[in-house]
Formats: sequence, C-alpha cells, structure tokens
Amino acid sequence: MPEKRIPLINLKEGQNGIIISISGGRNVIQRLTDMGLTPGTEIKMLRNGPLCPVEISVRGFNLALGNGLAAKIIVKVKE
Amino acid sequence: MKKITIALAGNANVGKSVIFNRLTGLHQHIGNWPGKTVEKAEGTLFHIDYTIDIIDLPGIYSFSTFSMEELISREYIAEEKPDVVINVIDATNLERNLYFTLQLIELGRPIIIALNQMDLAKKKGMCIDIKKLQNFLEVPVVPVIATQGKGIHELVHEAVTLFENGYKKPKIEYGKEIEEEIQKLIEILNKVELDYPKRFLAIKLLEGDEEIKKLVKKIDPKIIEIVEKHAKNIENIHGHDRFTVIASERYKIANEIVKDCVSIGPCKVKHSDKLHEITTHDFWGYLIMIFSLLSLFYIIFTFGNFFSDILVKSLMNLQPIFQQYFGMGTVSNLVWGVGEGLIAGITIVLPYILPFYVILGLLEDSGYLSRIAFLMDNFMHKIGLHGKAFIPLMLGYGCHVPACLGCKIMETQRERLIAIFVTTLVPCAAVTTVILGLVGKYVGLSWTLSLYVIDLIILFILGRIAFKVFPGEPTELIMEMHDYRMPDLRTVAKQTWFRIKDFIYIAFPLIIVCSFLIKVLDVTNLSESIENLMKPITVDWLGLPTFTGIALIAGIPRKELTLITLATHGGTTNFAAILTPIQMIVFSLVTMLYIPCIATIAALIKEIGWKKAIFITVFEIIFAIFVGGIAFRLLTL
Repeated sequence: MPEKRIPLINLKEGQNGIIISISGGRNVIQRLTDMGLTPGTEIKMLRNGPLCPVEISVRGFNLALGNGLAAKIIVKVKE
Repeated sequence: MKKITIALAGNANVGKSVIFNRLTGLHQHIGNWPGKTVEKAEGTLFHIDYTIDIIDLPGIYSFSTFSMEELISREYIAEEKPDVVINVIDATNLERNLYFTLQLIELGRPIIIALNQMDLAKKKGMCIDIKKLQNFLEVPVVPVIATQGKGIHELVHEAVTLFENGYKKPKIEYGKEIEEEIQKLIEILNKVELDYPKRFLAIKLLEGDEEIKKLVKKIDPKIIEIVEKHAKNIENIHGHDRFTVIASERYKIANEIVKDCVSIGPCKVKHSDKLHEITTHDFWGYLIMIFSLLSLFYIIFTFGNFFSDILVKSLMNLQPIFQQYFGMGTVSNLVWGVGEGLIAGITIVLPYILPFYVILGLLEDSGYLSRIAFLMDNFMHKIGLHGKAFIPLMLGYGCHVPACLGCKIMETQRERLIAIFVTTLVPCAAVTTVILGLVGKYVGLSWTLSLYVIDLIILFILGRIAFKVFPGEPTELIMEMHDYRMPDLRTVAKQTWFRIKDFIYIAFPLIIVCSFLIKVLDVTNLSESIENLMKPITVDWLGLPTFTGIALIAGIPRKELTLITLATHGGTTNFAAILTPIQMIVFSLVTMLYIPCIATIAALIKEIGWKKAIFITVFEIIFAIFVGGIAFRLLTL
C-alpha cells in the first residue's frame, strides 16, 4: 500500500502523522524546526476547524499554527 | 561585598519572570536594550556577602536569528559573560525546553537548571529523575515551584556555589557524522578570536547562521568557503537543509534525555482540557469570546462610571479649599489648571484603566487571552497580522500607551508598525468616557454601539490598507497553547503595575504641561482667537458650534479633557442645551479618531521613531476631520 503524503492542513482531527518535509523560506523552516517540528517527528492533529488555525500536539506540548503554515508542512498519514 | 551577575534564560511562559520577581522583589528596573525595542529587566539581590545583579533575558525558544530577542540574548551571554546563567525550564515540557538548554550549554557559560513547575508535572503524572538529568547534562539541576516560592533559595545557593567552585564544561556530543564535522571546523577556527566559544561558532556556521557568518568572514573569508563545502556534504547525506539537520540532532539528544529521565504515570488533570476544547470551539468558542469581552466592557464601564463620578466630585471639592489658600488670581487659576489635568488623569486611571488591566492580566495569565488570539487569527490575517496582535489591540481599549508598548510581542518590525497603527485607532478608556458622556447619555444606546462598530470597520479598512502599503510577507502564527491554570496574583499585579506605570511615567508629565498651556490660552483669551481660526473646520466642515474648537485642542493632552472643556466653554454640563444629537455624534467620532493623545505620540516616538510617529499623527488628524465631515453630511441629508 503506498503511503499517503498530504499537507498537514488536510489531516483530520484525531489523526496522527509523521513530518516528512517543510517547504518555505529559511525563516519558516527555522521557526518550525526550533519548535520541534523536525522531519520524522510524530504529530497529532487536535483541532482543524474551518475558522481557526490548526492545533497540533507535538513532543508533548500543544502548538497553534496558522493555516498558511499548516499547508507548508507535508506529513505521512499514520493509520 | 562581592559582585556577581546572573542571567535568567529560557523559553517564553515557563515562569521565568515569576522567578525573577521572587529573586529581586522590588529591586528591579525595566527598560529597553540599548537602541532596541526589546524589554530589558534588571534587578538586584543581596545574598550573604554577595550583591547579585540579575538580568532577565527575553523568553525565546532558540538561539537562531529569527527574532531580535534571540539575537540580543545570545550576544549578551557571549559578550557580557554573566558569571552564571540560570536556565529556567518547564518540567511539563522537558523536550522542547532542553533543545534550548543544549544551545545554552554551547555558549559556554556556567549553567544551572531551574526545573520549574514541578507541581504541575507531578499532577500530570510525570516523574522526573533529577539525578539522572543532572548526570546527563553535567550541570546542577534545582527543582523549583516558582509560584509557591519553593526552590528559590536553593537556586541562589547553587549559583553562588557554582561561582565559587568553578565550572566544568559539559560535553554533549551530537551524532558521529555531525560531531566529526564540528571537530574539523573547530580546528579550522583555531585562530579566530571572537566572543563566542569555538564549538558554538562551528555549529552555527554549519547551520548557516548569517550573523556568525558575517563575523567570521570579516576575519577570514576562506573559512566560510570551507564551511559551505562541509554544509553541502551534510545536506547531501541527510537530504534536508543544514539547519534542519542540526536541529534534528539536537532534538534527538533532548528526546533521549527525556526517555531516560522521565517516567509517565497516570495523569490527574483532565478538566482543563474540556475547558480548552470549548473555548476554542468553532461555534461555542466565538460565542464565549464575544460574551466575555462584552461583559468585561460592560462591567468596567458601569463600575468605572460610578466610581469616577464619586472621584471627580470629591476631587473637585478641593477647588474651594485651594482658592481659599491661593486666592482667585491668574496664577492660582493657572496652578489649578494643572490640578484639573491631574484630576482628569487620575479619574481615568483609577476607575477604568486599573480594573480593566487587572482583569485582562488575570485572563492573560490564566491562558484565556491566547485562546482569543487563536480564535482571532484568521481575522487578523486580513490586516496582515496574526492572532497575537489581538492582545495589544485589547489593551488599547484601556490606554494606548501600554498597548503600543505591548506590540512588542509581534515578531517583525513591519508587524509591530501595523499593530501599533491599528492600536491607535481603538477607542481608549478616555474616549469611551467622552462617547458615553455625550452620545451615551443624550443620544442613546444604539448610536453609542454604532460608533464602536464604525470604529471597528474603519480599523479594519485602514489596517488592510496599511498591510498593502507596507510590503512584506505576513508572519504566520506559531503559538504554544498552554494548559489553563490558576493565575498567579503576584505576576498579574506586577504586569498591571508595569502597564499602568507606562501610562503614569509618560502621560502624567505631559498632561501637566499641556493642561497648563491650555489654561494659559484661557487666561490670555487666546482661546477665542484659536476657536475663530478653527471655524472653517469646526463650523463649516464639521457643522459644530465655534466653542468646540478649543475642546478639540484640549483633547490633545488627554481626550477626556474635551468633555470638561466643552462644559467650561459651553457654559453648562447639560450638553443637550448646547449640542444637537448630530453634533454630538460628529464630535464623538472626531474625538475617537483625530489624534493619538500626546502621551501616545510619545510612546509612538519611543517605539517607531519620529518620522513614523508624526506621519501617523498627521494622517489621523486629517482622516478624522474627513470622516467627521462626511458623517455630518450623511446625517443631515
């Protein structure tokens, strides 16, 4: 079965994913990796409503990310 | 007395300032870092035969160069070489905090770890083996519960011991490949003498840190060429960019430490999760937000109005007593003018701004304001800002001075500027008293609310224009969502005091000077000629009576003075007798928008410089007059 790679923003609430890559400028990458979103890290989507940013759980804490950022992070869906 | 310097460093929101307050009590001084708009907190502690200077560095997540705060902190530690660095870390969030600790160790100063929020970690079922952690990091670790003052004394004791006994640099190694590259670079850097330790330089060069590259390039440009080759090599092997590779390495170590030192038992807290869920819900979250903000304003302004009335009456009773002693001549009149200015200031601060900021501080410390920032993120994006900008905007409803200074939470200069600009358009407490005193009292509730809605629309449109005018990509929201917690009263009290202090120190002297000048205008009958000069604007364009001219001038020092001046120059406090409802609406609208008061202008100059401050001021005056005139014409159609 081929693994599913999608932008973080398409991850459903309650789904887990593993970070594959982040696209974007150096600033974006720097800020996100500094917060622990390095490739290979497992994250869980906590909240992904239409009006709000997304909220994920990563390395034991919760992080809110603007929707634009969430679109730049590619994850592998963990079934 | 021996002198030592201790720096406090750590992530944002780990209780660093609570520890700072516990350590220094009232012996502290808050200013800016030289030439920067980043806050610098310093304090002094006396311990046995030591005088200990304590510097509270900004809360940061890394020593990259993303923000000014990160740059300032690492430059401070490298250049000023504090004797000891206390690294405050959050026990409930060890992994990410250790990522920063590892970088701090690379900077080479003696370090102690204050493992804070041990109580919360326990509640969450986390058991941290402190001995193991200490062995792993090779630095002293002191468990602390800052909010209860536990572990603070031990922290100071350890710091002094470390200072007296000397410090052995811990050796924490990265993965084999990276470590080899680092060692090679350290050799090459052999002759480079900079404030930073060689290992730190080597790692930063591998990461591609622009600032460090610049420094090294000045000494030997050849080194950079070699570094670039090594970095390429790393990128090829790992398949990610160099910064990500190094960050991953660091997180790997942090992760190993956590796995080894922390065991998780059953978690005892659950209710705060439910609260979090509902307050960030797509429907209920917004409903709760609107309800809580409206009730906040309602409570503050009904309470404030009541309290302020009593205060004004009792303070004004001083006038006859004053005149008894100083007579009723010109000089006494002038001095009383200053008194009136002071009274106007006090009757805004005590009844409105103070309680408003206390409640806001409680909401902030409990974690609710970050939920609001979360909910407002998409909306704020429309004006090129992210959710966090909503916090200074809220502060603006109290007073613009601390609100402008509060815009520091924005990450880039451009965002600070836009945030400051829209913040000055928010009706502050003083403007609200004018609106309530005129439109609220004589025209009705629906018009009062309409004015606020109109203001929000204007704010949104102008914000959007500002967003288009100042080019640049907006920074996206990255915000840690903390669990709700009981607010720490000391922190709230301190925070409130610093916000009010901004107002008192900047605004009060200016209020006194300007009230005096206005009284001079009065006494010398110049005010009449000014009113006449302003006639084309006030009477012809805005449709207001002549005497409102001086009232608008009086609003420059403090906006609430417009109402007082209106009464003195109109000859009555029954404003219905001197102004029509339409005139009241137009007058309130202009007052709301026309100029950031003198104290705000001072704050603007401090934060964004002369030119931009003057530009915003002039723009807002012209804009307010323009909008007022349009409103007058529309209302009299």
